[in-house]
Amino acid sequence: MIDLRNVSKRFGGMTVIDRVNLSVEEGEFIVFVGPSGCGKSTLLRMIAGLEDISSGDLWIGGERMTDAEPYDRGVAMVFQSYALYPHMTVAENMGFALRIQGVGAAERRRMVEAAATKLHLDHLLDRKPAALSGGQRQRVAIGRAIVRDPKVFLFDEPLSNLDAELRVQMRIEIARLHQSLSNTMVYVTHDQTEAMTLADRIVVLRAGRIEQVGRPTDLYDDPDNIFVAGFIGSPRMNFLPGVATGPASIRVAGVDVQVPGLGTRLAREQAVQVGLRPEHLTAPEGVELPLAIEVVEQLGAMAYVHGSLAPEAPVVAEWRAGRPSVGERVPLRFHPRDLRLFDPEGRRIR
Amino acid sequence: MARRVIGQAERRFAALVLLPAAGLLLVFRIVPLIWGFVLSFTNSDGLGQADWVGLANYRGVVTDQAFRDSLVNTVLVLATLPIWILLPMLLALLIHQGVPGGRFFRAVYFLPAVLSSVIVGSIFNVVLRFDGSLNAALKAIGLSPVDWLGNGGTALASLVAVHLWSTFGMSVLIFLAGLSTINQEMLEAAKLDGAKFWARLRFIVIPTLRPIIEFVAVVTTIGLLTGMFGLIYVLTAGGPGTSTTLPEFLIWLEQGKLNRPGYAAAISAVLFALMAGVAWAQVRIMSRNAEL
Ligand SMILES: Nc1ncnc2c1ncn2[C@@H]1O[C@H](COP(=O)(O)OP(=O)(O)O)[C@@H](O)[C@H]1O
Ligand SMILES: [Mg+2]
Repeated sequence: MIDLRNVSKRFGGMTVIDRVNLSVEEGEFIVFVGPSGCGKSTLLRMIAGLEDISSGDLWIGGERMTDAEPYDRGVAMVFQSYALYPHMTVAENMGFALRIQGVGAAERRRMVEAAATKLHLDHLLDRKPAALSGGQRQRVAIGRAIVRDPKVFLFDEPLSNLDAELRVQMRIEIARLHQSLSNTMVYVTHDQTEAMTLADRIVVLRAGRIEQVGRPTDLYDDPDNIFVAGFIGSPRMNFLPGVATGPASIRVAGVDVQVPGLGTRLAREQAVQVGLRPEHLTAPEGVELPLAIEVVEQLGAMAYVHGSLAPEAPVVAEWRAGRPSVGERVPLRFHPRDLRLFDPEGRRIR
Repeated sequence: MARRVIGQAERRFAALVLLPAAGLLLVFRIVPLIWGFVLSFTNSDGLGQADWVGLANYRGVVTDQAFRDSLVNTVLVLATLPIWILLPMLLALLIHQGVPGGRFFRAVYFLPAVLSSVIVGSIFNVVLRFDGSLNAALKAIGLSPVDWLGNGGTALASLVAVHLWSTFGMSVLIFLAGLSTINQEMLEAAKLDGAKFWARLRFIVIPTLRPIIEFVAVVTTIGLLTGMFGLIYVLTAGGPGTSTTLPEFLIWLEQGKLNRPGYAAAISAVLFALMAGVAWAQVRIMSRNAEL
């Protein structure tokens, strides 16, 4: 549906998007995720036609759209600021594109009402945006996109202006919308939870480059590098310094570990970084590391215990049994198959 | 309790600051206004004693051809209001779109606004008089010269054009300030909705700028009704005939030149009533906007 071929964006001398290649399937829900300033919005706006493409090619629905006008690309976009027209009613906002196309008033009203019903906006159609809550405005912005029945929906951090509770609610609503409309959607967020829950595939961006593309669980279980490993998952993966003691064995936090299923042979004395997710540190059996608890974040159903296993190596573990307390010494246990190895440059060792 | 004491001190301070201003207003505005109103019922010549003449001055005003002409001129001048709004808006749009040298144009447009109307008038006296530079230029390209200021058909239009030249820069600045507050994402949303430049202007930009447009209309109207005196004085002295006489200038003629303060006061009272009507309409428009 969408093909980005070697797409770059330069502002003056600064390269903000660097030779991005990506193919989005029809009906797919793609999420761009990455830290603030990594180029997510710029890439999305290049697809929308709001930002010129400095080099490379963009194809949408089998047509070359690199230089096409925004409207001709058949995409609709939902902005972070909602970008509603303040002097128009909700119905006029949602029907604006149809009005520009010259759709008659009666037909327009019918289409707007159909979209409004989907989003539970029926009773608000005659209000101005100023008289709506944040969540309602967001829904109008989505409704404005739906009415046009575009080939592709683009979302730029649509939920970041909402409070936490509403965010969760709208997230579910957007997922439901995708199921019922089955249009292609490209969604930008810096929130990895949104990315994990919504995406068919996640595109992790850093400094204008794609770090990894894959299904959420693939990125979670099998990250290509330390950046993706650290960015996906909350709390983030723990990274401990280690050293190879044999082709498939390492020493980490003073303990020797055999690493199963390793394709590459490690060189003796090679430095490695050992990644362990918080929920993998409280296995019933396995390699044991003693931890002195320094901080406890108690959430009721579980707790996050913080401590350090070695100097400069803080660790978080997810704790489900009992009520840990500060100062306690507890054994962390992990299964060697759950650890991920990275070289000093951050590349995954598989 | 303590709060009330502070409240009283604040109130006393406020009164201390506000009362002198109110006093000045009373002495220099309200009193002359009433005095002028009283004067309009007399045949005062500004020197000797004045006799009560009742409504005679007002009867005179209603039938005075010069006054009627000045009202017609006022209507003609106000009819140019759309130019006063559209021209600066268009220029502001172009500068806002980022034409090369936008900052330079903005400065140049604003420059005449800091000149007094007498200086502006003197400059254009050189340009517009019959043996002036504009006619020299016309002759150079083979056109016949026009007596811009001495011809009843062109004098008022020339005055309005000069006034426009010297004040539109301020409106450009106001529009630029208004344009800079328009949400860019909203314009981008309109682009994605298929609105081209003119559609965006009509459906998004102008409705968003409406309070600004109305503000410029009010300020310009006031400027036209009260700011033209200097130009008229320097360039045409109200002539030829009454073709550039605006009520304000007529009042000055009657008062200063013809020594009829009583009659001038009557014109002032009528003009005051008319202006109050315009002001009332404008305040209503503005307060309706405030509700938006
Ligand atoms: N119009 C612009 N001119 C210059 N630099 C820009 C412009 N827009 C964005 N950038 C730069 O491009 C980078 C990526 O921006 P953006 O795509 O907004 O990041 P994100 O949405 O991931 O937070 C940032 O470093 C930003 O400063
Ligand atoms: Mg962004």
